[in-house]
Amino acid sequence: MNENPYQPINGEIVEIIDESPTIKSFVVVPEEPFKFETGQFVELTLPGEGEAPFTPSSSPSQTEKMEITIMKAGRVTALLHKCKAGQQIGIRGPYGNGYPVDNFVGKEVYIVGGGVGLAPIRSLFLTLVERIKDFKTVVCRFGAKTPDDFIYKKTLFGSWQKIPGVHLKLTVDEAKGNWKDNVGVVTTILDPKDVNINSAVAVVCGPPIMMKFATLKLQEFGFSAKDIYLSMEKNMSCGIGKCGHCMIGKYYVCKDGPVFTYEQIKGYRDIWA
Amino acid sequence: MRAGFIRQLKPFLETVAEHKELYVPKKTGEHYVYTRYDPSSEVSVELNNIRPCSTVKEFLFPVCELASIFPEPAEPEEVKPFAVFGLKDCDLRSIEILDKVFAEEEFRDPLYINRRENMFLISSDCFEPGKSCFCHLCGGQPFSQSGYDLNVSEINEGFIIEAGSQKGRDFIEKYSENFSEVTDSMLAQRDKNRAETQKKLEQINAEYRLDMPLKEIVEGGEDSDVFDEDAPDCVECQGCTRICPTCHCFYLYDTKQKDYFAKMKMWDGCLRRAYAEVAGGQNPRKMIGDRIKHRLMHKFVYFLDRYGLTMCIGCGRCIETCAGGIDMRKALKKLNEELKGKDRKKAKVSK
Repeated sequence: MNENPYQPINGEIVEIIDESPTIKSFVVVPEEPFKFETGQFVELTLPGEGEAPFTPSSSPSQTEKMEITIMKAGRVTALLHKCKAGQQIGIRGPYGNGYPVDNFVGKEVYIVGGGVGLAPIRSLFLTLVERIKDFKTVVCRFGAKTPDDFIYKKTLFGSWQKIPGVHLKLTVDEAKGNWKDNVGVVTTILDPKDVNINSAVAVVCGPPIMMKFATLKLQEFGFSAKDIYLSMEKNMSCGIGKCGHCMIGKYYVCKDGPVFTYEQIKGYRDIWA
Repeated sequence: MRAGFIRQLKPFLETVAEHKELYVPKKTGEHYVYTRYDPSSEVSVELNNIRPCSTVKEFLFPVCELASIFPEPAEPEEVKPFAVFGLKDCDLRSIEILDKVFAEEEFRDPLYINRRENMFLISSDCFEPGKSCFCHLCGGQPFSQSGYDLNVSEINEGFIIEAGSQKGRDFIEKYSENFSEVTDSMLAQRDKNRAETQKKLEQINAEYRLDMPLKEIVEGGEDSDVFDEDAPDCVECQGCTRICPTCHCFYLYDTKQKDYFAKMKMWDGCLRRAYAEVAGGQNPRKMIGDRIKHRLMHKFVYFLDRYGLTMCIGCGRCIETCAGGIDMRKALKKLNEELKGKDRKKAKVSK
């Protein structure tokens, strides 16, 4: 018998963290240690209900449990949001290509993120921070609709600001409460002076419209399309490059992505929709 | 022994059916559809002179099947050896295409492979290509030279049976007393029949002759309006993707049974509006014209880039089934003409 790629391994949700009004993080314990590379994704099954693709937001160095941050966006995610700790789940994967972290060594890493796009970025960020000396700097430019919509608030507003080698700047579309920081979409806090483009790579993850304009802006700064890494969100169903749902041109996002360089996919018209 | 001659089909089919479940094409109205062979039936099986209406993918990749069971995994379902009779070269090539997807090294689909390994393929030469057949435009031909276990060629006095695999050679060897020698004049007759069918195909498609490789034609039409021109006629019934022997989109869905959960694998089609939509509502191909284009690009460009094969076998089933009367050949011809026009323009400019 061949290994069945449609067979999930069993797991349990052990903790649920409210991140924002529409986003929760689920701490999941698989029944066996689960290895993945940062940026790869998993198919999470709510038994009997459905399955959806998510990129874990925890560091791959942690294999006993995994964190998955999920925005309530459709049927399965709405049901997941109703779950309580102790819920049994299924996990398939990991699938696809993650961030090529080794290619980032010795470089400045410029990370642009927005909304729930901070989920895969958190996994990457934690991975980079574990070996921060390998990189020149890690420059983060994150945005959210309102201060309340930021996820990972505690670390984002606290400990992540103080990590040597990390430069973090935040912005919101709309200031609320006692927000004293920048107001404006994330592209308004991107500045060519942030990094030395000749020795930098950029990573972008967020809502499609934000990814589009951030990518354009980065190119204006002089970033080459092959140095811009995008984590693409498509309707991955099988996860193994067969079912066809996630295709961007000739690529299967589930197998050839979800992380692509802009160079790879810029020729296709439908990438930002 | 690689080949043998028989006068009658029935004893041959009975021998095949001794050890395997045998499926044969049965004339139903104007079409042939596959049915389980019944040796006790009085009705004699005739050799289908055109590809059946039903597709071979249904034997390997059924409309809906059980993909997995959990929390406790189940043993895979046992597949009994089975044989399919009357496949045409286009059908064999559709299997070659599906093999690329479901049997590729990296992620083998055990459901598919389980059936594929137990399948015995008996192909036959085409005699009467239909109005919608265009296999020769997609690199095929109305007879098979590879991909079968056994191939049947009808000639005046009977049938030439040729082996194309070890399984096929073993069969002819085992039942060698049932076969007589194939003479040169029989082979000459077979070749003459084949050439005549080829000619018929070319006549049927005289107006759709293409000047460049299909990939160039379709890729060159990236910005063409041709796909949008077909859009108003498409009623989005998905008949074409279902009847297509090479279309293999599916989706996984979950069900709850009494004491277990099941993941099911079911056919899907890229012409469905919400096919590529994500939960947030973004949809890269909202318009039907874009979806028609994506389907053709997948068939003639993307699949070729990835697997080295064109994902269309020219069987014409999509043309036959289309409720809106869309004929892929017309789109290909229009793209061909547009590209020729562009080339001429380019040549003029460079002068």
